[in-house]
This record gives sequence, C-alpha cells and structure tokens, in this order.
Amino acid sequence: MPHFDTLGCASMAWDGSATEPEDAALEQTRELDKFLAAVERRAFRIAQVALRDVDDALDVVQESMLKLVRKYAAKPCAEWRPLFYRILENGIRDLQRRRSIRKRFMVWLPGPKDDPQHEFEDPLENAADPAADAPVRLMQSQAIERLDASLRALPARQRQAFTLRNLEGLDVAETALAMGCSQGSVKTHYSRAVHQLREQLGEVW
Amino acid sequence: MNENSQTPLEERSRRLFDESIAAVDMQVRSRLTRARHAALEAVPRRSARLFGMPLWRAAAGATAAAVLAVALWFTWSAGPQAIDANDGRPSFEDLGLVASSDQGSGDAMEMMQNDVDFYAWVAAKAEQPGAGHAG
Repeated sequence: MPHFDTLGCASMAWDGSATEPEDAALEQTRELDKFLAAVERRAFRIAQVALRDVDDALDVVQESMLKLVRKYAAKPCAEWRPLFYRILENGIRDLQRRRSIRKRFMVWLPGPKDDPQHEFEDPLENAADPAADAPVRLMQSQAIERLDASLRALPARQRQAFTLRNLEGLDVAETALAMGCSQGSVKTHYSRAVHQLREQLGEVW
Repeated sequence: MNENSQTPLEERSRRLFDESIAAVDMQVRSRLTRARHAALEAVPRRSARLFGMPLWRAAAGATAAAVLAVALWFTWSAGPQAIDANDGRPSFEDLGLVASSDQGSGDAMEMMQNDVDFYAWVAAKAEQPGAGHAG
C-alpha cells in the first residue's frame, strides 16, 4: 500500500495562510517530495515487471516524475496518485511500442534484454540476511519471480487493472482515471486478471 | 481500496509485491532518489514568481509602471492647454528668460544707434567754420 496519505496532504493552493507565495511553493515542493518518495519504489517495481529491465524501468519512473511535476504539480495532491500511475502506464506502453517497432524493423540490432542473464541482479537483494531464514527467503524470492512472470503474461490492460487496483490499492475510480477507461472496464479487466492469475498460480498458491 | 480483495491469491500477491519493494537494492534506491530530486527541480514557480522574479517585486514594478503611465497621460493632456491659456505665449519661466535676454540685446542696439548720432553730430561740428578754435 502506498504510504502517502492523499487525504491528509496539505492544500496546494495559496490561501493567504502562508506569509509569502514562496512559502506556498516550498510547501508544495515538500508535498511533492513526500508523495514521490512514497511511490517511487512501487512505480519502479511496476515498470520492472512490465519491462523486465532495470534501466528502462528507472527511465520510465524518472520521466513520470518529471511529467507529474511539470504538468500536474498545481493539481490537488489527492489527484497525484492516479495521475502519476497514468503517466507511468503510458510511459511503459510507449516503451513497449518502441521495442516492438525496433524488433519488427531493425532485427539486426540487439533487441530488448530478454536474456535472463541481463535481468537485474541485485547483490544486496540476493545477499543473505542474517536475520532471516535462508530457505524462507529463497521461497519468497521464487514466489516473487513467479508472480512477476504471471503478471507479465497477462494482457496489458489486465495487468494494469490488477497492479493498480490490488497491488497499489487504488479504488475503482482512481484506477479508471489512471487507465483512462470507465469504471466498468476496470472491473472487467480486473476480474479477468484474477481469473488468469488463479489459473497460472493456483497450482503453487 | 482493497475491500474486495479478499481472496488468498489477491492477499498473497499484494504481500509479495510489498516485500519485493522492500527488497529493492540501495543502488536503485539511490538512483530513484536522484531522479526525484531532479524532478523536484522542475517544480513550476508560477505561483510565487512572475517572469523569473518574486511576485511582490513584479507587483511593485507593475504599480510603478502604472503610476508613471498616469503621470505621462496627465502631462500630455495638460500641455497644449497651458500654452493657450496665455494667448499663445509660452508660460514657461525659461521662455521669460529668453525674452528678457532678447530685450537686453535690443537695449544694446539702441545704445549703439545713439552713439552713431553722437559721432555724426561731432563730425558736423568739425566741418563748420571756426570749428578748429576751441572756445
């Protein structure tokens, strides 16, 4: 669950309570910093699952942060989360399209790093945690990998609906805003995603 | 939020996803932090600044420009009337000074004319008989 409390965030409009407009701008920057810090890792993981590449995922997250700040900083902070995820999903989709075009028309160039050896290898993530049981961590890591693979296997709209609705905790209206579709479509995509995931993961889960 | 996510699959997937986020390594975290700071540098300052200057300074500049515009408007609109009020004569003090200077020049010319008469009278007296005898 995101830790940014969208309901409790300060109002971004300068209502005269601040002594100077600069104070309002500073407060806005602080709120943006808090919001982005709360969602940046989650956004990275979403992008990483979809793109299977750490650098691409970081690029998409960085671009999403920039676009949110430049275009929507003045929006009420309660709207930032669905807007941010919409930007993020658009960025992921654009990158996937570019990859597809590159694969189709420039086959002589190296394609996306589908090789598992190019997968992100995190020494710290894989390092043994002295406070944790190694077999448990191994099982956990395998389960995460299985979940990632299952999410990647979903159609894009189903993956978006499941990710935003279940993993990110957006409500139906926020998910619809983030996906740019109706709430009914969100429910349909989500239901199909759960069904697909149950078929894929049911054996082991 | 997740009030409908009651199935074990949904609960477990959410928990695993949260755990995977907690396991994001320090290098990626550092890059994300730098990306966030870079993004925050791009926060628009329109609410506090106008054309790159603080809002209070922009407001003061606009007020000064408005005052100057009003003053110029009054000056231009009052200028022709000030001349007409004196039957076409300029009412400026500078014009008076110029006029007095001209008058001074006239006095000097008149004095020169008087001198010419004097010198003509002296010449006439000198041509008269017996003028060489001083009396």
